[in-house]
Amino acid sequence: MTVTLASLSQQTGLAVLDHLERSASIPVVHGLQAQGDLIVIPLPVIASSVKVWPDSHWKDVPGEGVELLRGAAGGNPHTLVADPGTCRWTTHVLDSDQLAIGVFETSAVAYLLHPEHGATGCPPGTYVIRRQREHEGQRARLVAD
Amino acid sequence: MRREAAEIREEWLGRALSTLPADRPAAEAAISGLYHLIGLAPPRFHWVSSPVTALTTVPPGIRTRPSETADRVSAWPLPSQFSSLMRQLCLALDAQVRWGHQSMDRLIRQKVRSPLALSTEGSLRMPLLAAHDSRHRFQSTWYDTQCVSWIAHYDALRRAAGVLFTPEQNRQLDLWAAVARSGGWWWPREGACVISERPVTMRTEVCGDDGEVRLHSADSPAVRYADGWDVHAWHGTRVPSWVITDPSVQRIGREANVEVRRCAIEHIGWASYIDQAGLRLVASAPDPGNPGSELRLYDMRRETRVLLAVNGSVERDGQRRRYGLTVPGFLDDPIAAAGWTYGLSAEQYSLLLRRT
Repeated sequence: MTVTLASLSQQTGLAVLDHLERSASIPVVHGLQAQGDLIVIPLPVIASSVKVWPDSHWKDVPGEGVELLRGAAGGNPHTLVADPGTCRWTTHVLDSDQLAIGVFETSAVAYLLHPEHGATGCPPGTYVIRRQREHEGQRARLVAD
Repeated sequence: MRREAAEIREEWLGRALSTLPADRPAAEAAISGLYHLIGLAPPRFHWVSSPVTALTTVPPGIRTRPSETADRVSAWPLPSQFSSLMRQLCLALDAQVRWGHQSMDRLIRQKVRSPLALSTEGSLRMPLLAAHDSRHRFQSTWYDTQCVSWIAHYDALRRAAGVLFTPEQNRQLDLWAAVARSGGWWWPREGACVISERPVTMRTEVCGDDGEVRLHSADSPAVRYADGWDVHAWHGTRVPSWVITDPSVQRIGREANVEVRRCAIEHIGWASYIDQAGLRLVASAPDPGNPGSELRLYDMRRETRVLLAVNGSVERDGQRRRYGLTVPGFLDDPIAAAGWTYGLSAEQYSLLLRRT
């Protein structure tokens, strides 16, 4: 079955803005991809700075998805969506840059869904999800768009 | 149960953010009831138009002790006594939460008490902090005692979770509830109580999953009292009025506080700020993963540069939004700057295949 914004929206019960193309199939991207203030990085690319704790508690990603991050001012969530039983994720992650929200491991295509940014697909593999930062004075500030 | 908890939370949030004139008889009766509970006669009430008036004026006929300064309000004799009365009440009410109520108690703490505490922190506390003329934390015990969050918690326990309190406990909780919904902040002394009216304007935006709010208004004061005293706020950050009324490039250049500068620039919009300020372009490069869009790196001020990027997805009007990200000044390659924002090197970021 072709996965589209419309089908993901139906699976998760999450609405997407109506000006986005709802019926086109969602591209599956073999590599780094960004969605607004989040980035999905194949773990091997940054394995030297991100480690999953050995005794990490992994959670299965349910059909309705897992909310990864929500924008400012009650904004829109970035949601990780996968078919039940194909994807698990953990937040027990050590990141030398302290930007990682979590790591997911998927055996089928998993999707990142956002009401304004649309959706993007990740082929089977292990990925780190990182937030974006800004430089403010002497410190870093996390971006929340 | 969740829905009921959310309803009770919204009810109390509405009371906390109310801009209606105080119900003076109700507030005075309830505060007098609390005075009675600590063994004191009802005070004279001195109503003022705003917290700043309350903290900068002394009611007629009151001789203040040298220790009773505004910044030590939590240590004044009466606020300490009232706070201790409130803590004892909370302990007694907690003891009424039986084994079978514990999961509901947890839910109410999570869905009612803590969101309301955050909302109060993000809204009513800001004018109070401004009135105290302090950007630093001040002793806030007395203001925590007046926060609706704990009152709403026990109100939800008795109304929605079936927890039974004794008539005496209910009477005291009712007094605290009546004070919280009838007027503004209050400052008690023996014989006299100063109490503030509520603001006439309070503009907030939702900032959390449990209905938490913070102050924000892009075109007017976020909080204004009837005496004209006001506070401006940009997405929860307190800012000087010029950030809202006249966010000019010159003022941004003179502003020392980086957070205030960011708010003012966001108000102007990054792209037009860069134009108006005539920032020098350091370099530009195609944005990997975002075909047809450029990353542009500009010099901003000492040790800071700004990366102007373009959104990967279109807005409703068909345009792509441009946004600025501040980066450390040592970066001189736009790709390296974009990578830095995600903790990646230029080589790693250039692997980006798609941006939505």
